Amino acid sequence: MSTHTQMIDAQNTIDGPAAIKVSTRGALINFEVDDSVPIEAACRELREHLGRFRELYAGGEVLVDVGRRMLFDEQQLRIRKVIESESGLSVRQFWCEPAILEAERQRIGDMLAQQSAITGYVPRSDEPAIASNPDEPDDGPTAGSVDDHVPADAAVEPEPDGPMAGVLKVGGLAADGERVGVPALVVRGTCRAGEVLRLPGSAVILGNVNPGAQIIAVGDILVFGALRGLAHAGAEGDATATIVAMSAANPILRIAGYNWDAEEWGDIESQISAGRRGQGHNGGITASVRNRAVQVSPYQKNHGINHGGNPNER
Amino acid sequence: MSGKTIVMTSGKGGVGKTTATANVGTGLALRSNRVVVIDTDIGLRNLDVVMGLENRIVFDLVDVVEERCRIEQALIRDKHAGELYLIAAAQTRDKDCVSEQQLIDLCRRLEEDFDYVVVDCPAGIEQGFRNAIAAAREALIVTTPEVSAIRDADRIIGLLHPSDIRHARVIINRIKPEMVRQGDMMSADDVLEMLGVEAVGLVPSDDRVITSTNNGTPVVYDATSPSGREFVRIAARLDGEHIPMVEPEEERPDSIMDRVRFLMGMNRRTSANV
Repeated sequence: MSTHTQMIDAQNTIDGPAAIKVSTRGALINFEVDDSVPIEAACRELREHLGRFRELYAGGEVLVDVGRRMLFDEQQLRIRKVIESESGLSVRQFWCEPAILEAERQRIGDMLAQQSAITGYVPRSDEPAIASNPDEPDDGPTAGSVDDHVPADAAVEPEPDGPMAGVLKVGGLAADGERVGVPALVVRGTCRAGEVLRLPGSAVILGNVNPGAQIIAVGDILVFGALRGLAHAGAEGDATATIVAMSAANPILRIAGYNWDAEEWGDIESQISAGRRGQGHNGGITASVRNRAVQVSPYQKNHGINHGGNPNER
Repeated sequence: MSGKTIVMTSGKGGVGKTTATANVGTGLALRSNRVVVIDTDIGLRNLDVVMGLENRIVFDLVDVVEERCRIEQALIRDKHAGELYLIAAAQTRDKDCVSEQQLIDLCRRLEEDFDYVVVDCPAGIEQGFRNAIAAAREALIVTTPEVSAIRDADRIIGLLHPSDIRHARVIINRIKPEMVRQGDMMSADDVLEMLGVEAVGLVPSDDRVITSTNNGTPVVYDATSPSGREFVRIAARLDGEHIPMVEPEEERPDSIMDRVRFLMGMNRRTSANV
C-alpha cells in the first residue's frame, strides 16, 4: 500500500489538479478538496484525476478532507458519488476543518505540547474535527475509533498541585483553581442514531442527542436538550472535563478513560423524579470524575456544576 | 402536470411500509389523483400482493430501467381505484441491478403524467434504500411505537439529511391505545418528541389490516376500520388538506350485536376497560 500511495504522491506533485490534493494518512489515501473552488469545478477535476489514475484507484478506502464546506452538506454526497462511481475507492470518512477549528486545534496543540514537556503526556494532535458522514453505516471503523481515541494512559488523573502547577490545562483548571475553558463548537440540531461528532474543543449541542448518536469532545460537553446517546468528554485524557445535559434518559457517559456504569441510571432517574417533586431539579444531569470514577448527579440549579476539578473535593 | 415523488421508508423491516404504501397510494387515488406506486424492493416484492395485482404482472421495474419495455407497459392498473397504477419489483434480481440515476430518470418522467409517485423503499440502508430515496422530494417515515423501530427511524432521518429530500414526516403505525393508557407503550407524543419531526398520521393497531392484506384489498376501502379511516386522513393531509391529528382511541363496538352486548355488559373488552 505504501509504495502504491507514494506513486500517487509523486504523480500528483507533477501534474496534480489544482483543487484536489492527494496525500496518505497511514494506509489510507487522503483527498483534500480545496474549499475555495466551486463544487462543480472540484467534482470535474476529481473525476478527471480519478479517470487518469484509474488503475491506481482500483480499490481501497479514502478519507476526504472537505475543508470549510459544511458538515452533512449535500456537496459531500456529490463528492462521494464522484469518487465511488469513477473509481474502486470507497469513502471511509469525510473530514471537516472549519478555519476557526483549525486555528484552535493549533493553539490547543501548542498548549498540550507545553504540558507534555512537563508531564510526558503526548496529545494526539493529528485529530482534527471529524464529522463522520451520516451516510456511513456505524460499524467497525467508527465504533472502534472511539476507543482508539483514548490514550492508554488517559486514566491518570491530573494533580492540581503536582508537576502541572502553573501550567494552563486545556478545559481544566489553572493552578489557582480558575477554570480554563476550551472554546466550544456550537452544534445546532439533533444528533441522530449513527451520527458521530468529534470535536477538538468543547461541544455545545442545541438539540437532542438521540440513542445511537455519539458526541466525542476533547473538552466539556453541554447538551441543551435530551441526552440519550453517548457523550465522551475529555476524550484526550482530560479527567476534569464535565458533561452537562438539560435532560437525559439512559445516556452512555465517558470522561477521559473512565466509563460510567450505566446500570446506575435507575438510581439517578429516581433521584431526578424525587427532586422534581421538591422543585430542586429540572431533570438534567451533570457528570464528572470524582474518586477515579464517573459520578453522575441530578443537575441542581442552586449549586451550579461540579467540575470535578475542585481541589477541595478531591 | 408536475407530480410529486414521495418515498415510504423506515429502516427497520416489518413496520408496515408496504401496507402503508398501498393504502396511501389508494387513498390518494380515491381523491381523484393520478397515482403510481413503485415497489423498489427488488428480489423481495410484496406490494403487488398487498394490492392484489400479483397475477397481472408482465413487465417490472427492472424491465423498464433495462429498456426491455416502455414505461406504459409496466404500469399495472389497479382493480378498484380509477387512476392508480403499480410498477412491480422484479422477483428474480437484486437491488444492485438498478441505479439511483435510473430511478431519478424514471420518477421525473412519471411526474410528468401523474400527481403522485409513491416509492415503497426496502428495509435497510443499502443500495435499495439509496435508490428509493434518490428521486424523492418528500419522505414518509413509517415507524411503530417500539424502541427498535424508533432507533432505525431516527437513523433514517439522519441519512435523509444529505439527500434532496427537504420534507420528512412520520406515520406512527400499530398504536395500541389501551397499552399507551396503561403506560406499556410509548405514546405518539413520546415518539414525535424523540424523532423531532412532524407526524402525518397516527395509525391504530388493527387486525383488519391482516385480512385486507391477505385479500389484496387495501384497508382504506373499509370505512369501519379505524386504521383505514386514518389512511384516508393521511391521504387528505398529503393532498394539502388541514385535518387535525387525533390520537387513536380504544375501539368502541360497532355492530348492532356488539352494541347489545355492550349495553348488557357482556363485551369482555369494553367491560374490562370501564
